[in-house]
Amino acid sequence: MTFLTPTLALVAAAIAVPSLIILYFLKLRRRDVEISSTILWKKAIQDLQANAPFQKLRRNILLILQLLALAAALFALAQPQIRSGQSPGQRHVILIDRSASMTATDGDPAGVGRLTRLEAAKRDAIALVDSLREPDYFGEGGDQAMVVAFDSSAVVLAQLTGSKPELRRVIQSITPSDAPTSIREAIRLARAQAARKTFTDDKTGNTVDVGGASVGTIHIFSDGRLPDLLAPARLDSAGKKAEDMITPEDVVVYHPVGRPQAWNVAITGLRAERAFDDPAKLSVFVGVQSTARKPITAEITLAVEGRVAAVRDVNIPAASALVPGAADVEAAAGGSPPPPGPVAPGVGGLVFTIERPAGGVLTLQMRVPESAIDADGPVLASDDTGYLVVPPAKRLAIAMVTDGNLFLSEVLEGMTLARPLRTVPTAAAQKFIESRDAAEYDAIILDRWLPTLPGPDGKPAPSLPPGRFLVVGSAVPPPLGLTDQGEGGPTLVMDWRRDHPVLRNLSLDSVVVRASRKLEVPPDSPAVPLALGEQGPLVFESSDTGRRVIGVTFDLMESTWGFDPASFVVFVVRSLEYLAGTLTLADPTSSTLRPGQTLSTQLPGGAEGTRVILPDESAQPLTMGPAGEVNFAPLDRVGIYTVEWQGPAGASDVADGPRARRAVAVNLLDPDESDVAAKPSIELPTNARIITSAAGEGVTSLWPWLLLLVIAIILVEWWVYNRKVSL
Amino acid sequence: MLKLDRPSRPTKIDDLLPPQLVARLGALDITSRKILSGKLKGERRSKRRGQSVEFADHRPYVVGDDLRHIDWNIFGRLDRMFLKLFLEEEDLSLHLVIDASASHDAGSPSKFVFMQQVAMALAYVGLSNMHRVTVSVIGGANIAAAAAPAPTNPEPTEDPAAPIVSHLRDLRGRRRIHELARFLIGIEPGGAASFTEACKRIAITRRGKGVMLVLSDFLVKEGYETGLRLLVGKGYDVFAVQVLSPQELEPDIGGDLRLKDCEDGDLAEVTISAPLLKKYKQHLTAYCNRLRDFCARREIMHLLVPSSTPVDVTVLDYLRRRGLVK
Repeated sequence: MTFLTPTLALVAAAIAVPSLIILYFLKLRRRDVEISSTILWKKAIQDLQANAPFQKLRRNILLILQLLALAAALFALAQPQIRSGQSPGQRHVILIDRSASMTATDGDPAGVGRLTRLEAAKRDAIALVDSLREPDYFGEGGDQAMVVAFDSSAVVLAQLTGSKPELRRVIQSITPSDAPTSIREAIRLARAQAARKTFTDDKTGNTVDVGGASVGTIHIFSDGRLPDLLAPARLDSAGKKAEDMITPEDVVVYHPVGRPQAWNVAITGLRAERAFDDPAKLSVFVGVQSTARKPITAEITLAVEGRVAAVRDVNIPAASALVPGAADVEAAAGGSPPPPGPVAPGVGGLVFTIERPAGGVLTLQMRVPESAIDADGPVLASDDTGYLVVPPAKRLAIAMVTDGNLFLSEVLEGMTLARPLRTVPTAAAQKFIESRDAAEYDAIILDRWLPTLPGPDGKPAPSLPPGRFLVVGSAVPPPLGLTDQGEGGPTLVMDWRRDHPVLRNLSLDSVVVRASRKLEVPPDSPAVPLALGEQGPLVFESSDTGRRVIGVTFDLMESTWGFDPASFVVFVVRSLEYLAGTLTLADPTSSTLRPGQTLSTQLPGGAEGTRVILPDESAQPLTMGPAGEVNFAPLDRVGIYTVEWQGPAGASDVADGPRARRAVAVNLLDPDESDVAAKPSIELPTNARIITSAAGEGVTSLWPWLLLLVIAIILVEWWVYNRKVSL
Repeated sequence: MLKLDRPSRPTKIDDLLPPQLVARLGALDITSRKILSGKLKGERRSKRRGQSVEFADHRPYVVGDDLRHIDWNIFGRLDRMFLKLFLEEEDLSLHLVIDASASHDAGSPSKFVFMQQVAMALAYVGLSNMHRVTVSVIGGANIAAAAAPAPTNPEPTEDPAAPIVSHLRDLRGRRRIHELARFLIGIEPGGAASFTEACKRIAITRRGKGVMLVLSDFLVKEGYETGLRLLVGKGYDVFAVQVLSPQELEPDIGGDLRLKDCEDGDLAEVTISAPLLKKYKQHLTAYCNRLRDFCARREIMHLLVPSSTPVDVTVLDYLRRRGLVK
């Protein structure tokens, strides 16, 4: 409890209390009443005076009541307040950012290198936990808190609890990750814990959910780099807005960590490509950025399988202020250090070209020269290294299920494959798909045919087993694919993803489809349309655990695409390479994984004893699915994750005696996350109460209640006095 | 109990004696247990015997009896002489004593007005029946006497401003009723006359036998015993009518008070509380019982009347039951 005006109350008390007591002892003024005779009264008084202490006691009760009333009034004068959320205590939701930028080493305002931001945030959060109200003797009234750690995903570490040791332990246990930041899931998780406001309609008996109750005070411990904080609400499958936003009703306390002037250099783009004409020639494209307000010359080392292959310098220009006019101020200020603020990072890039017919792990390490290092940076190390797993320049093994397709056969005949094309008629296709032979092939083309598999309800339904498929002429049903809503009629290709590896630099303008299907992408479907017709996707890509599909939803025979070799042939070849993983494009939309994602890969038949070796050399066993797929999550840190198993190696795997290895690169490659300047404040929707420090909470004034108490005491006193009750 | 600042006083005879009460009082007469019972036994012989026409009894003639009272009709029938006895139509002395000390000018309805009304009603009865009516006032100031110092029977024995006792003696006959009413109306209660002293003077100055009615609240600091003792005896049948206001019986005051005695200015600081009120009532009851016992021992008829009692009820019911009137 706090008092707004304690001094005033103390002064008033110093005057009023002695005055009351003095007045009381000076004796009350008696009213003069003339009566016929005092003879009987005298006797009565004499009798009562025998009980003098009793009389004094009665008088004292009046005095005590008056003192009580005065004390309550004085207490009210001091304007006592308690923190709001009276009886059940207040709820606190502690969201701790543990994303990549939180590993920046500027947590201690005194200087770089002593404390990471996450450690500072944990320290602040524990201080907050320590300041929570303890429950009273009846176990009520205490504050409760829940702890959510978030990077690109969120996890509830402690449900709402009032146990401070538990909260402290949980906060201490938070480990950093290299994943980018997304606060939405954390808010959604926090909301899920809040009590729902529901009411029951008496007439219909329906219970109506009127939305989430207040989740309590949301404490965000972060460096303020929350790119999706203000993004519009996503719609869920029912068309309702997902409750993962900060709403104007929320009370948000932002606990900033880190230094606004911190800067960093990072590898933000990474891609390797083999030349079409010379598969042995490997080009590695590196994109870098710097948020320093000065030009940086960084040294980038390319190592192949741990051996340095090339070292080159890259010049990164100074970051420029985003605030208009700031550059002029900077120029006018001369040599003085520029003010902190949002900056447009300086970007640079370079290309390594090496001869590498074999596959392997490429490691790119960026170093800032000693002369460039100052008190403000660079602060983040995890984005200074990039990893690439390059498959060997190899030929594909392809199988095709078809009853005959001229266009596809023509294209495949022109390809140089690792082994002869295996063509399976649809009659034998089901058996082929179910056999382990299918895993021998890098990709399987399904022409106007889908295998039938037991669905989630046990009934056989057209679906796909784990594997990589190019499906032509039939729509893959949900959940992997699309919802078929009937005939769509003739259509042109309205739009296509020109930036997708498969369709890059291709033109589908001339393609006419005579009989399309009316298709729709279901909500929450992993399917991504690559080309759109009038009635829905014509080409789509979809993948989930163990399955990867590129689908052409129309029959090639009913379109003109096959007669356009410039686009059709390139599309088929790229699709197969893309599915097989040899189309190496390590950008954020492509095959390298990012922290926070799930490693999912299909192992060849006969694999056993699988385990994954993490970037820190520790190993964890993996459980293999029935079709040979393995999954590993979460990918917390950047680096190379190696899946290792006993058994035959796949086409792109490294065989090491009886064991085989498959490496997966995990890179941050997030320009936003690598811009590490901490934000001292964050923006929220209008009206949302944002408080940048822990001070100040919702409070409840007590003085109206105290005044009521005063009135009640005066009434009691009046009753005692007037009713002449014997006390 | 509370002394009123401006009490309403009766100003004319109708205030004291409403006509409807007069009609009911006409049938009443003053009686005396003592004197009547003595006459019935025939132990005393009145000097005014024979003036009456009301037959009482016969008795045998003895030597020395008045021959005029021999019943000759009986002698003719029985040849024996009997005397014819008549009831003595003796005039009764009705002595009304009104305590007009300051303490009586209190209460609502006023004790003093009530006493004035009762006295007037009884005086009317007495005068109507040709009794000898005397009114004595203890204390008070007789305004009428001061303003017109020549009444018919003025006996201002003291300084009229502060007399101990003032009298209006020996009125007879209904025509004197207005004079009596003027006297009663003229009394202004006040002062603090000594009850004992006043009783002594009344006892000294009264004559003959009769009925004496003392109207007072008997809240006398010095004690009522000596005074009443002086009034008893000498052939007077004494009635003590104790008039208390309803406020004295059930105090309705509250708070922190300084009670001032209107007679002697004595102060009593009280804080009214339930136990105090309880004690007060206990003492009041005990006081009244003590008075009642005292009276009973001395053949004084005690009667406690709240001043809120209607006068006709007091006279026609309470006093009749106690044998003062019939």
